Amino acid sequence: MTAATPPPSFTLVLPDDTQLSGPVVDLRGRPTAPPRSALVRAVRAGGPVPEPAPAVLGPPPGPAHDHVGLLRTDRSFDRRAALAALAAARGVQTPHDPALATARRRLRAMSASPLDTSELREARRRAAEAGSQTERLRERVATIRGRVTALRAANDDVDKRVLEDAEDSLAAATRRLSEVSTRRVAAGQRLALLEARARNARDDRERRLRLEDRIGNLERAQRDARVAAVAPAFAAARDRIATRVSTGGDTVSRSTALTGALAAGRLAPPRAPLVVAPDVVAFLGGVAAAADALAAPLLVR
Amino acid sequence: MLLVVTYSRRARETLRNACRAHEETVVRRFGRAALLRETEYGAFLACRLRERHAADVQIQRTEPFNEFADAPDSVREAAVAYEQRESPNTPYDRFAAGTDHPPSAAMRERDL
Repeated sequence: MTAATPPPSFTLVLPDDTQLSGPVVDLRGRPTAPPRSALVRAVRAGGPVPEPAPAVLGPPPGPAHDHVGLLRTDRSFDRRAALAALAAARGVQTPHDPALATARRRLRAMSASPLDTSELREARRRAAEAGSQTERLRERVATIRGRVTALRAANDDVDKRVLEDAEDSLAAATRRLSEVSTRRVAAGQRLALLEARARNARDDRERRLRLEDRIGNLERAQRDARVAAVAPAFAAARDRIATRVSTGGDTVSRSTALTGALAAGRLAPPRAPLVVAPDVVAFLGGVAAAADALAAPLLVR
Repeated sequence: MLLVVTYSRRARETLRNACRAHEETVVRRFGRAALLRETEYGAFLACRLRERHAADVQIQRTEPFNEFADAPDSVREAAVAYEQRESPNTPYDRFAAGTDHPPSAAMRERDL
């Protein structure tokens, strides 16, 4: 289907400002050319990039590029993910698309309902502090009271000033306890209020989470449908590719990862260049044959 | 025990991983919630979840419910009587009408 129209051209700008254009750019004769990984990055980044990296000017990569953009013999291939991306690149529609679009729109429209957790945290800390302070003072009051009672019981034997001092400190501690208890009650009420508010905010979060789960389920269903939609074409393309590379040797024809990636590359609408390793080009029977087999712009490195 | 309830996918995922890695501290797991043992380590996990996911995590300290201590006699007795009712289709309020059992509206109003 894609072989009729020639694959789009692109321009590769090397760090030394050399410009190479075409549907196929072959870097095999250039030992100083950037490594494959840098080229893949350049294809995905598109446009100008910070020096001294290479840049690729041309059509942006499609959704399948992550899976087919780098073709080398020792690659891995996630069939499911690649087929789903391939279907998306080919514009395959599924019965789940409208529901998914609606759910995503609703999620975007949902307010983030920000909740000031630092306020709640501070309220928890204050309530805890007021609580332990109250406990400490209560014990202190009890101790002093015990002492005052003992002193009063032994009235005749004690210095009047000692008893007065003890009574004064009991009064002071009691006063302090009542202050702190008041603060404790206030801190408790504030905490209860903020917790109630947090509970209400959680209703929003709950709805949000449910919607996110729904989106997750729809995405899985969409992916299944996408994979199923392109699976027959993919199997056929892979058989064809496998026949082509069968002369290339056991390593490649047995590598279902590579033949899978090649087949997906062939089926993906041609856009940004695919970076192809020289041995893969050789297995496909040379640059021209590789370009024909993949029906895509190529960057051989 | 410490009841941890999560309110976002990421918080739920963290809780799931924590439960998997610290089975000894997990008493029960339910989808997006878990009951943690009331040990310092349980508190440690709970604090970490709160630290990482803030408002997306709710943590409650739970206690066993003792119906003899935590509920008024009238409520407990009404529940027992209702569960032993003759006809299973009688709604509670019709069952309670004309008896000493408290009406449901009144129970809803009163905090424990």
